[in-house]
Amino acid sequence: MKRLDIPSERHRLDNGLRVVLSHDDTVPVVAVNLWYGVGSRNEQPGKTGFAHLFEHMMFQGSEHVPKNRHFELIERAGGASNATTWFDRTNYFETVPSHHLDLALWLEADRMGWMVPAMTQEKLDNQRDVVKNEKRQRYDNQPYGDWDERLQKLLWPEDHPYHHTVIGSMEDLDAASLDDVASFFETFYRPSNAVLTIAGEFTRASVLEKVDRWFGDIAQGDAIPPIPGRSEVPPLIGSTMRDRVVADVPLPRVIVAYRIPPYSSDDFAVVEVARAVLGAGRASRLYRRLVREQRVANDVVSYAFPLMSGASMLLVWATGFPGSDEAALEEALTRGVSDLADVEMSEVERAIALTETDVVRSLETVAHRADVLSMLELHFADPARINREVDRLRAVTVEQIRSFASEHFGPDNRAVLTYVPEDGS
Amino acid sequence: MSVDRSRAPKPGRIRPFDFPDVDRRRLDNGADLHIARMGRLPVVSVNLFMRAGEAALDAEHAGLAVLTGDTLEGGTRRRSGTELADALERIGARLNVSTGWEGTSVSLSCLAERLDEGLALLAEAVVEPAFPEAEVERARAQQVADIRQRSMDPASIASDEAARRYFAEGVPYARPQVGMSDVVESFNRNHLVGYADATWRPETGGVVVVGDVDEDEIESTVAGHFGGWTGRPALSQDFDVTPRAVERRIWIVDRPGAVQSEIRVGHVGTSRTDPRVPALTVLNTLFGGAFTSRLNLNLREEHGFTYGVRSRFGLRGKPGPFQVGTSVGTDVTAPALEQIVIELEKLVEAGVREDEVAAARDYIAGVFPLRMETVGQVAGRLTESVIYGLPDDYHATYRERIRAVTVADAEDVAAVHIRPSEAQIVIVGDATAIRAPVEALGIADVHRVAPVGSEA
Repeated sequence: MKRLDIPSERHRLDNGLRVVLSHDDTVPVVAVNLWYGVGSRNEQPGKTGFAHLFEHMMFQGSEHVPKNRHFELIERAGGASNATTWFDRTNYFETVPSHHLDLALWLEADRMGWMVPAMTQEKLDNQRDVVKNEKRQRYDNQPYGDWDERLQKLLWPEDHPYHHTVIGSMEDLDAASLDDVASFFETFYRPSNAVLTIAGEFTRASVLEKVDRWFGDIAQGDAIPPIPGRSEVPPLIGSTMRDRVVADVPLPRVIVAYRIPPYSSDDFAVVEVARAVLGAGRASRLYRRLVREQRVANDVVSYAFPLMSGASMLLVWATGFPGSDEAALEEALTRGVSDLADVEMSEVERAIALTETDVVRSLETVAHRADVLSMLELHFADPARINREVDRLRAVTVEQIRSFASEHFGPDNRAVLTYVPEDGS
Repeated sequence: MSVDRSRAPKPGRIRPFDFPDVDRRRLDNGADLHIARMGRLPVVSVNLFMRAGEAALDAEHAGLAVLTGDTLEGGTRRRSGTELADALERIGARLNVSTGWEGTSVSLSCLAERLDEGLALLAEAVVEPAFPEAEVERARAQQVADIRQRSMDPASIASDEAARRYFAEGVPYARPQVGMSDVVESFNRNHLVGYADATWRPETGGVVVVGDVDEDEIESTVAGHFGGWTGRPALSQDFDVTPRAVERRIWIVDRPGAVQSEIRVGHVGTSRTDPRVPALTVLNTLFGGAFTSRLNLNLREEHGFTYGVRSRFGLRGKPGPFQVGTSVGTDVTAPALEQIVIELEKLVEAGVREDEVAAARDYIAGVFPLRMETVGQVAGRLTESVIYGLPDDYHATYRERIRAVTVADAEDVAAVHIRPSEAQIVIVGDATAIRAPVEALGIADVHRVAPVGSEA
């Protein structure tokens, strides 16, 4: 395939705001995307879940934008808007018809600069209720809904910033006050701790002037405090950690997580290809063996978390059938992974070809392009890497995967979480 | 630098968006071919649609279209399932099958330079499926496991129970699309072979190709790969949609100890080919189809009852459901339900405001181009054209029809299609905690029911 050539231009305002511009006029749509360098890893003990609650508060208005006006204006313009909180960052994004670019910039600038004056106890109480509903709906009221909480506790020591989940503890949220909201804002929501990406159709001659007009007067603020706890951990867990849950779940499920190098490591491309060999597509190892040949699993999943602090995790899971033998399911799953130590060239080629199409397709929308560019700027100061992602994957060799597998996929580096239906079936 | 932040900035000059030109041709075997060129990235989406849907099956065969579709990946006369998957993935292609009420869609996505090889494999999979015994068993076990997973997922329990309450017995829409375990377990290889032979046929179906392609080349490639494939599907949808009841009732499915209640409120709605779909879309958007709709502002932003609430017309070949759906805390189940019913009644009795209608029109028309950025999105729209026989200019003129919707149009469709007094209300939650407060609302009789599929 021809090389990708998605443009990216880097700028920095005087107040430290990093700006990435990526022009594409094939559809009259523009994406505005902000990554703030704050996530659940920045939360102090006793304040878990706060980064996410704060993200909700960012939609409750700012000095010049009343509550709910953000969504009203964006929807009226024919746009879409949302935000997500994760371990290492919080992102906010709008996609709008391109003639409404100023609207999105004004809204984002107003909450970056003038959010605190609009905060009230009533808004905090209301959004705390919304977040509690979100937790109950997505985690507590769902079969297997607590898997990430349990796995994170197995994989990370108590003082590690990834030991607790993004949704956090409801007791901690109950203790959150308006002062906490203001101080979180002052600490983390500074232009110097953010990346703004604009991708899609815009007028090149005036776009930087627009950004400077809306964001230029926001005060820079201080450097953000160090991440609490200890991020550095040994490269391997050191043993097989276990958690077995008898619960109201329909089918047995075994989830195995492995500690892997962080997203910033050169080895992460090896992990991504290994993950695809294991679980991407129906000719992948785990699907072929567990679902099709041995027929011990109903489905298999593989996912490599792109985490930045100290180390990250690769997980695989297999859902069994009523009455499945959980030990056999675990054995089939862990063997499927550790056998990567003898992976064949043809498997690696398949994985790379499939991943390449997936990467290219994911860049079709300006919204996703903008998100990737913000990430690459915030974490690597290198948005142009967007065009080299495919090359990074193609450069991975069979030998690299084999040696990575022998080092990382043994019993000294596993966290095994097993769900067993309580009715015994 | 001084800038006026006190009001929203004015929009710039609007740049028109045109839906991609569609080249429509008829293949010799009776299938429609729709081709649209899009060149942002060198990728292509193909959808092959066949009229092999769940709504044309009787109750004894419910779930067979889904199972047959899912077993397509089991292999062909020339390749095993793993060989087929490997051949596709080695060229970076993904093949997916989705089976719905109207038919079976087989989609291929790949880089443009691999399209010819991809189409050859797609054709082989559809025209020469082998349905090996072992693969039939595997797919059947997976479907039964999926049915079991649904039976323990509160949102699925609520939706399945609601469908059973909206539609009269015997209407296919009353049952879950994936079927029931006992029926699915009765299917064997002969059923699948016979079903595919009868319904996986080109006439009344179509092929949609969107991406970085040349129309004439595509026509000859598709005609070449599908040349020997002929015939017309043997089954058709033969039923009338009637409601199961027209008296408002509340049905509680007990989940002892549940921290959250899943609520569904609805009744029979209308079909995809209803000429008043634009007015219905505007009406639904302002009522419960967007973040700033009446329902979400009330239940989420004013009361904090829920993470989100939406309403929806399920538009199908025949009248599907109109439904409000949400998930709320156990302790606020009754007040949340009360607000939903108040909003429904207000919509019919007090009508809608000009500013709401204008906002909904602007939203739907404005957001249209945002949803036409990818080859997969455009292929999805063109597949709808094939399924429902929409006019050729349907998508190109869609926004004009939305912009023409008036307050009177929205109120007219509300009067016909929103019927609060006929609503069936399903709640999946902790009956001990919610039953008394829900009864105290005095809005309808309350019944406790066992969930779908559990009577046996």
